[in-house]
Amino acid sequence: MGRCCDRGDEVVSTKKVRVKDIGKRGDEVLCPIGPEDLFELPPPYNESEPAWKELSEATIDKVVCNLDGVVALSIPKPKDEAEEKEYVEKFRIGLTKLLEKNNNWTFLQPLMLSLEYCVNCQSCNEACPVFTSSGGKEIYRPTYRAEVLRRLVAKYTKPGGKLFSRFTHGDIDLNWTTITRLYELAYRCTLCRRCAQACPIGIDNGLISRELRKLFSQELGWAAKELHEKGTVLQLEVGSSTGMNEVVVKDNIEFIDEDMADETGIEVTTPWDKEGADVLLIHNAGEILSWPENPGAFAIILDAAGIDWTLSSESVGYDGVNYGLFYDDVQLSRVTVKHAEAAKKLKVNKIVAGECGHQHKAMLTVSDRVLTGDLAVKRESCLTLLEEIVFSGKIEFDPSKNDFPVTLHDPCNIVRNLGIVEPQRRILRYLCPQFREMTPHGVDNYCCGGGSGFAVMSPNNFTDWRVSVGGRMKLKQILDAFADQPGPEVPKYLCAPCSNCKGQIRDLLQYYDVLEKSNITYGGLVELIVNAMVDVKKPFIKWEMH
Amino acid sequence: MFSSTVLIVLSWALLAVFVVAFVLRTIRMAKLPIHLRWELAPVPHEKGKSHYGGSYLEEFEWWTKPRETDMVKEASYMLQEILFLRAVWEHNRRLWWFSFPFHIGMYVLIAAGGLLLLSGGLELAGVEAAAGWRSGTTVLAAAGFALGGFGALGLMISRIVDPRFRDYTTPAALFNLILLLAIFATGGYAIAASQNLASAVWGFGTGLVTGDIAVELSGVQQAHVLLGLLFLAYLPFTRMMHFVAKYFTYHQVRWDDEPLTSGGRLEVEANRLLGQPVTWGAPHVNANGCKNWVDVATEEMKS
Repeated sequence: MGRCCDRGDEVVSTKKVRVKDIGKRGDEVLCPIGPEDLFELPPPYNESEPAWKELSEATIDKVVCNLDGVVALSIPKPKDEAEEKEYVEKFRIGLTKLLEKNNNWTFLQPLMLSLEYCVNCQSCNEACPVFTSSGGKEIYRPTYRAEVLRRLVAKYTKPGGKLFSRFTHGDIDLNWTTITRLYELAYRCTLCRRCAQACPIGIDNGLISRELRKLFSQELGWAAKELHEKGTVLQLEVGSSTGMNEVVVKDNIEFIDEDMADETGIEVTTPWDKEGADVLLIHNAGEILSWPENPGAFAIILDAAGIDWTLSSESVGYDGVNYGLFYDDVQLSRVTVKHAEAAKKLKVNKIVAGECGHQHKAMLTVSDRVLTGDLAVKRESCLTLLEEIVFSGKIEFDPSKNDFPVTLHDPCNIVRNLGIVEPQRRILRYLCPQFREMTPHGVDNYCCGGGSGFAVMSPNNFTDWRVSVGGRMKLKQILDAFADQPGPEVPKYLCAPCSNCKGQIRDLLQYYDVLEKSNITYGGLVELIVNAMVDVKKPFIKWEMH
Repeated sequence: MFSSTVLIVLSWALLAVFVVAFVLRTIRMAKLPIHLRWELAPVPHEKGKSHYGGSYLEEFEWWTKPRETDMVKEASYMLQEILFLRAVWEHNRRLWWFSFPFHIGMYVLIAAGGLLLLSGGLELAGVEAAAGWRSGTTVLAAAGFALGGFGALGLMISRIVDPRFRDYTTPAALFNLILLLAIFATGGYAIAASQNLASAVWGFGTGLVTGDIAVELSGVQQAHVLLGLLFLAYLPFTRMMHFVAKYFTYHQVRWDDEPLTSGGRLEVEANRLLGQPVTWGAPHVNANGCKNWVDVATEEMKS
């Protein structure tokens, strides 16, 4: 393998990138990207774009980095040709399994339809925030990676494929360069599915990215470390992808309860393992560590409304994260079964998903045909429960306490993928006098750029990519929503009822110094609800980066 | 050109290929197993919510409420999509100017075919006035050929010239457009040469049914009919079947929001699928060749 891909020292192809190029010239960066390629942000953010981290010599020497000069996955360079061949063969076997009913019934129909009937009309292109933010880099075109997979399937899995596929599908080669670039490329899509919405035929290029990730994970054992080893594997072994076991999580929640009492003057004691409770609330456990005010606010609201609720200390039952949704059906199923078993054990009426988008999607719909029999526990969104509470009259609110500009980020997995659009808006319209929408919003929203697990992935120079490319459109939307009061003199609140989105937005605001330049902070929905409660005497919202 | 006998035999063979391949490919799409839910908003049958993309999951304890669907909204959405190519209009306006006449040209030709069948049927039933509809049918077909030809030519030029399409255009895609263009061109030429194409096609059609080998078509008419039949026989093997696939991508993927109910059809089918063997090879799957999905999903992974 040749050298690559430090921006100052890279071997770069100057030719227009074609689909078949994915398997050619493995010693070159196929389609380099850097800050100079990106569209200009509104002032004052157009003055200078932060420089991207340079890859270390060790990284360049040891890992494959020949896609775009960004390294999210750190695949070690192969020891020898035999190792290359071994993985290429595994990939070929994985391709066939991807098309088998027993191995991939979970997504076979949408996959086959998307593979066989796309006419490459490119109607999806402009819908993709990554493609548009990048200035139209060919490899980020939503059809690019789909077309690579389509050609590989046609050539290497169909009878006569090597003979006819060049005519029917176009040229492609399956080799080490192809699979390593394709692996990295599967992690340049946030799975937001905006492209699928735009497709006249109903082709889903987001799904194809996920199917590729699945092939790599379930056959080659390749997956993003943050999603697999430090994600689902850790969660299934210890109880949470944060690494917290049941003792630690209880300690942390106890601390949060105490903190809430100090902050608000309201005593709360979070109930654990209450058998027969109406609601089993499952947070994304990342909230407990990174945004403790969120689970704290939930406790205050549920207690004030007299809800019969509990948390579970059962392993996995206290962490709603399910990164399997992003890359692996087996891990997805294992985690979701654990969630249902925790609810079954406590004999609760229903599970309520906390403010976490991918947890919502995994629990409410994607797992619906996995959780059969006595695992079919009722599951709903916290947003519908919160709407019920806010408009029930059980809690007294003073909306003037929220009289500052507020806008709403729509998490893709809650809004576009589940159609939960209005409950959160009805709450914000009622409690936030200066609420304003982003453009576009609702089911047409743009992804924060942290979707599909990116928010927890920061290896090498990937943070630069996910923030400034993946999150660029979202930052523009946020700034535009507050364009009437752009300066730092007016504090502004970005409501993002999703843990992953908050992680990405935190990085986005820090990267561009948005708190200082525009005084925009961010948080969830429950924080705004508590801030508006008459019984809470001190301001609950903290105007600081957290 | 071909003798009438050869023409009739060839036509039946091509029609048979079309019918068998079309049915088989459609059945193949329909018989793919149910999948994990993967709906995408907006779902137009969501009563009172589809205009903003909302779903029944917005309801507090949604399982206690009746699911209200609005099939008129769904049909209206689909009609706008099929007739006017709404998504292409909204997301790819440049292409719409060619794609729309191309598709509408084909719809007009299908309508002309329908009218021909209707008028011929009525004529056989003794309504002699229906024979007079032939000229109207020919005019309709001429419009179809003109629209389709303009669209096909535009699409072909776009595929060659537009950098968005160039690398994604396969030889097969260009061949498809050339074939369609040839059908539109021969049809248009046959009409322009003052031949009553509708009557000739009807005569040929009845000849096919009755086995009347005395049927005679001019050279261009033969070319048109044969190209048309060739296209039909070839269609089921191509991506042009997307007009059938679209039913499944919309109704069985994007808009499939049916929740699992205890003992219901979905649960029975899901249990059957979960009982299938898993052979994925990565170590963490731990499939060992004997385990099924239930075994794998319920395996204790705690260290």
